Amino acid sequence: MSAPAPEIRPVPSSGRYANSGSGPALVPLEIGHADYVALTDPDTAFWALVRKDHLAETLAGGPLLESYREKAAEFALELHGLRFELRPSAVYVNPTERCNLNCTYCYIPEGMRRHGEDMSADRLIEALGRLKGYFESVMPEGRKPRAIFHGAEPLMNRKALFAAIDAFHEDYVFGVQTNATLLDEAAIRFLTDRHVSIGLSLDGPLPEVTDATRATWAGKSVHAKVLEAMDRLRGYDSWSVIATCTEKNLDQLVPLVELFHERGVPTCMLNAVRCTLEGARTVRPEDDALARGFVTALDRTHELYRETGRKLVVANFANILLAILAPTARRLMCDISPCGGGRAFFAMAPDGGLFPCSEFIGLDAFRGGSLFEDRIEDVLKTPAFATVTERNVDRFAPCNTCAIRHFCGSPCPAEAHEMNGGMDRVGAFCGFYEEQVRYAMRLIADGKAEDFLWDGWSEGVETTYDLVQ
Amino acid sequence: MQNTTLNLAHDSTVSKTAGERPDQPAVIAVRKRCDADGVGLSHYILMDRKPA
Repeated sequence: MSAPAPEIRPVPSSGRYANSGSGPALVPLEIGHADYVALTDPDTAFWALVRKDHLAETLAGGPLLESYREKAAEFALELHGLRFELRPSAVYVNPTERCNLNCTYCYIPEGMRRHGEDMSADRLIEALGRLKGYFESVMPEGRKPRAIFHGAEPLMNRKALFAAIDAFHEDYVFGVQTNATLLDEAAIRFLTDRHVSIGLSLDGPLPEVTDATRATWAGKSVHAKVLEAMDRLRGYDSWSVIATCTEKNLDQLVPLVELFHERGVPTCMLNAVRCTLEGARTVRPEDDALARGFVTALDRTHELYRETGRKLVVANFANILLAILAPTARRLMCDISPCGGGRAFFAMAPDGGLFPCSEFIGLDAFRGGSLFEDRIEDVLKTPAFATVTERNVDRFAPCNTCAIRHFCGSPCPAEAHEMNGGMDRVGAFCGFYEEQVRYAMRLIADGKAEDFLWDGWSEGVETTYDLVQ
Repeated sequence: MQNTTLNLAHDSTVSKTAGERPDQPAVIAVRKRCDADGVGLSHYILMDRKPA
């Protein structure tokens, strides 16, 4: 799956000039700021913000060109390592096919969710044992792999889930993503006592907004139940809430982040709906409308931080900021090409089927093998996985000429394949990603970027380039 | 290169309009690096980074 590392050859020109010969390639990028424009080297994800009245002289020569010329090869290697040399350190485990909800945009086919199978506790424990052996063979000593229970709804198979967590709590960092409807007092006590990271889902500040996309099979609201779970989790340091942004809730994102902040949610995600399956596309928002709603909500989180001193980090946007400021510090691996599916993590279905990512679990063509029958090392090399791990924005239009392709990564391959016709197509929300990057650049220009990131994000992070002049 | 330590919050209170801040740096560029260990996806983020 790996592209060859960039080769450093003797320069055929002096490299004196930007954008010619072997000189630095720096593409101007309009970011919507009154005073600054960005320059990026798309190949290395290097960027600079340049005052508009200094753009010509900056490109003509001087400190930026001189210093970047010295660092370009190092940055190219760093990005190459991030894009092609990672090995899996996490697994997303679906312990059941079943779910008690019927959300409009779910990427698990309805038949599975309605009539599917559970893993037995013994089978799930066997699976985690096999996975542990694999991770020990590829991960550095002392680092624990992550195992995230996902769905369908993992708490539909609570007995097996909790047995597995108890059996392996020393061996994995665990997480659970749940719709929260089964997250009662006892479940929360069990999970928080073992410091399991808990993710919930809520799409609106009011029942009628949440109900538009998330409800039981009988159409009953689950909004109140999620709020109850949020109240129980208040004060716990390892939980988050995902809101899926659709055309049904774009005008509600501001009150939604207000609700999250008021209820002490430490981190949320405001994710554009994944359009892999047909149902999700029925509520797909337009890029521009999504960008407007999203940025307005981000602005509101910033106001709330200024008013209260307490952040509500919007993790998917924080990840875009990190992709710009510190590419290797990304927490999410969707917004990079190749994405993390099948290389930083993979997913396991309840029957042991292995897929590059949860998003592919409903798509048989992307089943690379079985945990119980095949070697994981071999599964990672199958065409089912390679189709995803070899999706490379350097190789298809319009991404291959895009100045921000390594801040965005053109997610998601499942969407590109199912909705847009192939792995060599863009994902569902190209325009939305453009606007996110432009907004992130404006925040950096205005000195506000830190306000949108986790405190302590830069611990263990070294500065490799720093020019402010 | 005149390096200074970039404060990512160098001035977060002033609204920016063209020509309002003659003291703005002409160039801002920064890059940081760490060992890569991100494993999140859009359906989940492991909360191993703490908010304020």
